[in-house]
Amino acid sequence: MARLLRWGVGLLLVVSLSIGAFLFLPFRSWLPGGTVADVPLSQVVNGTAFNRLFPESQDGDQLVFTQEKRGFSEARLKHDGQVMALLAISDVATAPEARSKFDASQSRVQGWPLVEQGAQASALLVADRFQIKVIGQGEGLDPEQRHDLLGRFDLKGLAALQGAA
Amino acid sequence: MSSVLERLDRLPRRNLTVLAIKGLSTLVPGGWHNITRADDLIADVLGSSDPELIRQVRSRADVLSRARHEGYGRALSLYDAVNRSQKAAGGLRLLANIGGALPLVKRVADLTPTSETLQAADLSLKVAAEMLAFTQVNGLPGDSFGDFAAALGEYAGEARVRMAALICFDALLPLGDQALQRLDGLLGGVGKQDLHQLPAYAGMARLLPGRGDGAHLTFLRRSLEPWLDWAGGFISQLGLTGQKAVQALEGTLGPWQGSFQQMATFLDAFTDTYQHTGVQAVARRLVERAAAEI
Repeated sequence: MARLLRWGVGLLLVVSLSIGAFLFLPFRSWLPGGTVADVPLSQVVNGTAFNRLFPESQDGDQLVFTQEKRGFSEARLKHDGQVMALLAISDVATAPEARSKFDASQSRVQGWPLVEQGAQASALLVADRFQIKVIGQGEGLDPEQRHDLLGRFDLKGLAALQGAA
Repeated sequence: MSSVLERLDRLPRRNLTVLAIKGLSTLVPGGWHNITRADDLIADVLGSSDPELIRQVRSRADVLSRARHEGYGRALSLYDAVNRSQKAAGGLRLLANIGGALPLVKRVADLTPTSETLQAADLSLKVAAEMLAFTQVNGLPGDSFGDFAAALGEYAGEARVRMAALICFDALLPLGDQALQRLDGLLGGVGKQDLHQLPAYAGMARLLPGRGDGAHLTFLRRSLEPWLDWAGGFISQLGLTGQKAVQALEGTLGPWQGSFQQMATFLDAFTDTYQHTGVQAVARRLVERAAAEI
């Protein structure tokens, strides 16, 4: 009986230790759910690669980068200290549903499908993989200005990133 | 754990915290708008109130804030840790203030850390939390250090009222108008024991770079340096003083007859300004990303 008890206590100890280790040690980053939509980080293009593809700032305009994550980079276009627009490039690998809106697209910028979302946002899908978005802020931009901005991104460079991922 | 936008929806529309920030925001040009509805925030960023678009942005934002690697949730837990610490320290000091008059609890008064050194350490923890939260939310934007500094300036500019609250409530009121100039000297006197007296330190220690209290202290001092430069400019630009802060607060909170230190203690114990504006700042950045990704 004493032997059975010893085995029982030993087993209990092992089980509670492994449960404790699982709960308290920093294993969490290995568990699923850490990344966006559970897509592994290696399958998403890093935001650093997008930065140099943003439009060159023209007279009086200033481009301030605000966010850079895996698969995403965002900047603000400012004119005289006022925010004119949010500019962003994202990898749709983590958001496949974002692709579907381009199916009905009629217009093109440099051959890539263009979609309007509401009164202030224009989106462009490059190489069926990268979404460029321009969202007017404050007083807003008219559609021509937004399309002009979309065309000033380095679209060839962006399309070339597709193979790199 | 609730998502960032759920936290935003639960923020109070009108309470002591909101009134305190409202009062202080009269000192800052541009003012402050208390956004506590996620749908309003999304419509503001997107420039459209189409319910279908708002729903898409919202569900994308929830996916992003659930992903631990993206850091939005982590930034909020930083703000929570700092807020808990502020409340605990504020409560203790309040007790000391009241207790000073009663013989029975006088001993508590002797035990409480009222020293300015601790106040300085608390401020440096908050600034470090701000830096860490910035990198959690925004990553390291841009390709060069110049880009990064510009991004930091942009973030601070957007959160002007938030920074003004930090400067007034945690530096000018408790430490006096020469707070920034004195801070370096005060921080020099912070020892490892002092650090452990701050409840927030326990929560933040594993997020601070470096091993051990010594390395953490160095990090706190180093992260304070660029902030001090920026805050100094901010103070002189707006002409902030403890006196002006109290006057602005009296506009919404009612007349105040105690000292500046007591005001700081009162605000520490009863308001959540840092957490309140923190949730709003993180939510805005999250929505800006979600709007770009739908």
